[in-house]
Amino acid sequence: MPLQTTTDAAELPSHDQVSDPGIRHFATKRYRDSLTKEDCLEMFRQLYLARYFDVRLIKEKKRGRLRGTLYSSHNQEAILVGSLFGLRSTDWISPIHRDMPAFFLKDAKFQWAELDRMGLSIQQVCSQVWGRVDSPGRARDNWSHIGSKEKRIIHSTSMLAGTIPVAAGVVYADRMNGGDAVVVTYNGEGSTAQGVFHEAVNFAAVHKLPVVTIIENNQWAYGTPVRLGCATPDVADRAKGFGIPGYIADGQDVFDVYDKVMSAVEFARSGQGPSIVECKTFRAYGHGDHDDDRANKYRDPAEIEHGRLRDPIAVCRQSLLDLGYISAEEAEMFIAEGKNASEATNEDFPPEVVDYLNSGIEFALASPQPEAEEGGMWVFKESK
Amino acid sequence: MAAIASAPVQTKKNYLTALKEAISEEMAANGDMVCLGEDIGQLGGAFGVTEGLQDSFGTQRVIDMPIAEAAIIGASVGLALNGKTVMAEMQFIDFITCGFDQIVNMMATYHYRTAGEVNLPVVVRGPAGAYGGGALYHSQMNEAWFCNSPGLRVVCPSTPYDAKGLLKAALRDGNPCIFFEIKELYRRSEIAEILPEDDYIVPLGKAAVRREGTDVTLVSYGQNVYHCLQAATELEKLGVSAEVIDIRSLVPLDEETIFASLAKTNRIIVVNEAPMTCGFAGEIVSRVTTKAFDLLDAPPVRITRLDTPVPWVKPLELFVLPSVERIVQSALQTVRY
Ligand SMILES: Cc1ncc(C[n+]2csc(CCOP(=O)(O)OP(=O)(O)O)c2C)c(N)n1
Ligand SMILES: [Mg+2]
Repeated sequence: MPLQTTTDAAELPSHDQVSDPGIRHFATKRYRDSLTKEDCLEMFRQLYLARYFDVRLIKEKKRGRLRGTLYSSHNQEAILVGSLFGLRSTDWISPIHRDMPAFFLKDAKFQWAELDRMGLSIQQVCSQVWGRVDSPGRARDNWSHIGSKEKRIIHSTSMLAGTIPVAAGVVYADRMNGGDAVVVTYNGEGSTAQGVFHEAVNFAAVHKLPVVTIIENNQWAYGTPVRLGCATPDVADRAKGFGIPGYIADGQDVFDVYDKVMSAVEFARSGQGPSIVECKTFRAYGHGDHDDDRANKYRDPAEIEHGRLRDPIAVCRQSLLDLGYISAEEAEMFIAEGKNASEATNEDFPPEVVDYLNSGIEFALASPQPEAEEGGMWVFKESK
Repeated sequence: MAAIASAPVQTKKNYLTALKEAISEEMAANGDMVCLGEDIGQLGGAFGVTEGLQDSFGTQRVIDMPIAEAAIIGASVGLALNGKTVMAEMQFIDFITCGFDQIVNMMATYHYRTAGEVNLPVVVRGPAGAYGGGALYHSQMNEAWFCNSPGLRVVCPSTPYDAKGLLKAALRDGNPCIFFEIKELYRRSEIAEILPEDDYIVPLGKAAVRREGTDVTLVSYGQNVYHCLQAATELEKLGVSAEVIDIRSLVPLDEETIFASLAKTNRIIVVNEAPMTCGFAGEIVSRVTTKAFDLLDAPPVRITRLDTPVPWVKPLELFVLPSVERIVQSALQTVRY
């Protein structure tokens, strides 16, 4: 039975509304129709996993156990889960500050704990967050500034949109090598104002490179609202200037994100070139945890309430209920939505989710800090 | 003088407040001044340097910019070309790289290539410096790139008094300026001080002697000034008298104050937290050796960051950066030379 779509514009909150339906003139298929029941339940579990990771880190930070700024992905998890789920293990991704769960969700389908899969292990990600030597980058740079050439994850810097040209280069090389990999890059709507964003997408368009650029439009770039960063009604409109498709997805609905991203991915894989997928969502907290108090001043409480109304976990659960994939009883089991990190407890999450993260944290805490001397190493490749 | 008895109690102000006052006082005094940057309006800046500014001066003069450093700097040039004075904020000085071309090719050269027709009163300012766990892209001191681009003033205050006075001087100077603020000093309460009630500036190109001494001269700027002062205290216990000079402005550089000190001590150590190769410490040492060679009784010393980025985790970060300990050890070696 096909999944119900929840993305009719009329259902979306007003500020999320698709103002130019013409932007969607590129066919998007209902890829969700080929998802199995198990696939759908797995995506649901992954939403819990992404949320729990965020909740738990906020708790750990509040207890003073972590250093560095925490950029919450709360309320934006459907974008990560929905975009990663349909990728092949040979595909590349390029996550940034708000996408921490992407590092372990990549290629995680039904095999979270499998160390050979093409994503980082939860042990590696926790070691990075805790600044330990078992981080893939040996904790030389902070938080999301990690990656893995082996696992096909591009290592970002802080400079927003800076990895898009790198992504283009990666898939150009892949094509030279006869591969059919696609790269999915993640950026906030604010970052689309960077010159390098336009330089890179244009290059990819000219050469029809398989670069899928996801724009997480959470309405805010730090303290600046989207209307001061972008003059087009939809950020996806930027695609028109490059002559490429611009898709718009309901970022709260994991299945809609899946449809749109898969459309873009297949378009790219078949050699037709890059595209932009704007996912409409809302930033749940402050820009980073340092900004939570101020964000309550520069954002209207009504706007925050409205923006958090359609929690991706609740939206997904409703789809599963409608499909008959879960019973009403099962639906009641874990109510994580609508709860801030301070309110949520372990009981709000499936036990396998809690166990999985615990295994990562335990590993990280047993991993040592790197030795001070490492600060002086790896400036150059040592010549043999 | 008699008025002092009845003067209201003045409160000490921190480095951040000093900057804030400089900007708002200049904005009030100069109706042709404009501020632009990311999140500087509604939010009041990532660190709060422009808090309340948009409320006071409106959205036309205090512009929340898209995340586009090249546009921020290029637009500043255009505003200045057409008669405005501009304060442009970089959210972190590290992100200045995204506007690099507009700075070094467009802005820095403007006066030169127009044979003096155009001058650009633009101050590009932003939080800089390491020691805070900010990692590779929130810790940089990239002043050397700009010192190597003729046409730019380069300034770096270490005290609240200087922060206010230098920023005002830079805004009135009429030349483009890259203004390095030390974010670790923004709210450091030990350095808070009472600021003059009246308008004042600290002239560009004038160093400050922070501590007098006779055996060795420690030259620095920014956060490392405090490492030098602490080292001087340690050295005093060991019977070595160190003079500490805070150059405050790199371009123009006050050579006289450095040479005058060297005439007393005949020994010099320069400390900066940027990497060594082609860093500003090297520039100072080279001026000393080429212009004041006869004053030297020992080889000049540079204490800098290793030639590495700034890593995140604390032991690594401290490993690559100058420390009080390293300054003390070098000073002891230098005086024994
Ligand atoms: C080139 C550059 N300029 C400024 C910043 C500082 N900065 C970090 S995140 C951010 C806001 C990003 O907004 P958006 O792209 O919408 O992503 P979001 O944080 O909302 O997910 C800013 C201004 C930066 N990291 N890089
Ligand atoms: Mg955003």
